[in-house]
Amino acid sequence: MRHAFDIGGTETEVWLSRDGAGYRLHGDAGEARIGLAAGRLDVDGVGEPVLVVLDGETIHVHLGGANYVLRHKDPARRFADEDDGGAGDAARAPMPGTVVRIDVAVGQPVALGDPLLVIESMKLETTIRAWHGGTVAALHVAPGQSFDRDALLVTLSAGGG
Amino acid sequence: MSGFPFDTLLIANRGEIALRIIRTAKRLGLKTAVVAHAADEGSPAVAAADRVVAITGKTGVAAYLDGAQIIAAARQVGAGAIHPGYGFLSENAGFARDVAAAGIAFVGPTAEAIELMGDKIRARAFVAERGFPVAPSAIEDDDPVTFLARATALGAPLLVKPSAGGGGKGMRIVRDIALLPQEIAQARREGERYFGDGRLYVERFVEQPRHIEVQVMGDAEGNVVHLFERECSTQRRFQKIVEETPSSALTAELRARICTAAAGIAQAARYRNAGTVEFIYGNGEFFFLEMNTRLQVEHPVTEMVTGIDLVEAQLRVAAGEPLPFTQAAIASRGHAIELRIYAESAARGFTPTTGTVLALRPPGGDGVRVDLGIAEKQRITTAFDPMLAKLIVHGADRPAAIARARRALADFALLGCETNIAFLDRLLAHPDFAAGAVHTGWLDAHPEIGAEPDINPEIRKRLAAIAALATQAVREEADAVPALHAAIGAWRN
Repeated sequence: MRHAFDIGGTETEVWLSRDGAGYRLHGDAGEARIGLAAGRLDVDGVGEPVLVVLDGETIHVHLGGANYVLRHKDPARRFADEDDGGAGDAARAPMPGTVVRIDVAVGQPVALGDPLLVIESMKLETTIRAWHGGTVAALHVAPGQSFDRDALLVTLSAGGG
Repeated sequence: MSGFPFDTLLIANRGEIALRIIRTAKRLGLKTAVVAHAADEGSPAVAAADRVVAITGKTGVAAYLDGAQIIAAARQVGAGAIHPGYGFLSENAGFARDVAAAGIAFVGPTAEAIELMGDKIRARAFVAERGFPVAPSAIEDDDPVTFLARATALGAPLLVKPSAGGGGKGMRIVRDIALLPQEIAQARREGERYFGDGRLYVERFVEQPRHIEVQVMGDAEGNVVHLFERECSTQRRFQKIVEETPSSALTAELRARICTAAAGIAQAARYRNAGTVEFIYGNGEFFFLEMNTRLQVEHPVTEMVTGIDLVEAQLRVAAGEPLPFTQAAIASRGHAIELRIYAESAARGFTPTTGTVLALRPPGGDGVRVDLGIAEKQRITTAFDPMLAKLIVHGADRPAAIARARRALADFALLGCETNIAFLDRLLAHPDFAAGAVHTGWLDAHPEIGAEPDINPEIRKRLAAIAALATQAVREEADAVPALHAAIGAWRN
């Protein structure tokens, strides 16, 4: 089975084969004889220092003067994610921050452009407005609550106003 | 025996500045105590202090703003002095007064000086009355009814600022005078929200201005010196990212004039302890912007070129000693640059990032200093300012300092939370920065510096190798296939 990693925003398929005592890299990024041990990466016989930390499916790397994040795309979920398109009619947090105020209640009809809630990030307030007319289906946050990037804030449904 | 009238110093701050103050205090033989909110558990300052006093609050920030709790903490550990660092209570006159009333030395200026300079309008009038240059402006308090008319009469471009503001909060540039009323309304709302004070003032905005500030230091006997300038023109949305000294914008003659003006302003205010007089510079002219009555984030560049430990000088002045140096004894040698390492994504408009510090290997070596506010395993949240560390370098001249900074950035391994390290390197590599041709709007006008370049194929191959080798499932699949099958190729996929 092939594995895919997100490397700098590009999905990269890789697999390995044994090459004597070491491994050989195959896939989208090219072929090479490779080894990784004791803080050192070897590619076709050339070594360089590397710092690697695993955190679940995320691999953090310091290599060649820069920090990188590589994400292992779980084979089972890799294709399921792409079908997710229409499921969430929701606003997600564009950045981490705090909820300043909520201007609507669940079930309330809203028109395009109506203010829904105000969030604060980086000392700036941003008003999240209705991106279409409808009804407030769910509020996922409360005033004063802090959230991470991509957190669900509010869900609209098409009905109502 | 420290020779100080107090033997314990309480640091009413967190992050890199708390650790930096602890270092000097320890070197001087003082005992150190730090207050800490639960969110700072595991921080290097908490690990380094001799005593740690827990403080609580509705939010982390609220805890560090709770003066009564902090004074109680000082009493509890027998601290004879409190260093407020920067931000939080450092420019709170009421806190300075309460500390003094508790019989504790406040490591900073007098409450009167904080009050004077903290009111931007009063400060401006004070400076103008004494013959120092200020930018043309309209002040709401002078006559609220005619404020809009007076502001409009100044003509665009204008800068709207909250009277009680600082740090760029609530500031707005107005280039279309028709938008002035709505910008004023927005700035007032932000002023009320951040400072509890909606009063505003409007001043002429100098196009392509450079931010130049001068470090000053005074003692109780009225001696005042300057420690040369710092240029902080590399900013994103009014927040400094890179600071350096000397400024490449100034001739020797202008440098002398601006430094003398700063010392003159501090002298007029009978200023005691460390402070910074900020100016806006453009078209050969400089105007007083504001005076910050505390130690600045960027103070280390001054320390690097002068060899003076500003925190030591602060502690000596707070102990009632005269300044440990005269103006004639202060010299600036070489060039120093500070880079602020932020938990933020430059590619996504400098929005904050969060995570856990999984690995941390800061750079070192000759002419490299790192003031760290984080430790491994520490969680980075948006509860506090996103600044994680400061990288400060010193070189014989500006090109040498830039080269050293780029090398140090490359060596800076910080895994687990996205930072602006790669962005800072792109910034230093930009021809405009190399030429010293940067103004405060430069970075906002060059968003391409924020964009992440594609990873080149050679690096991608190495990263793919790491990804494959570090992932057990990928290795195991290779191990399960006899070497011969693998050699035939990838048919089984």
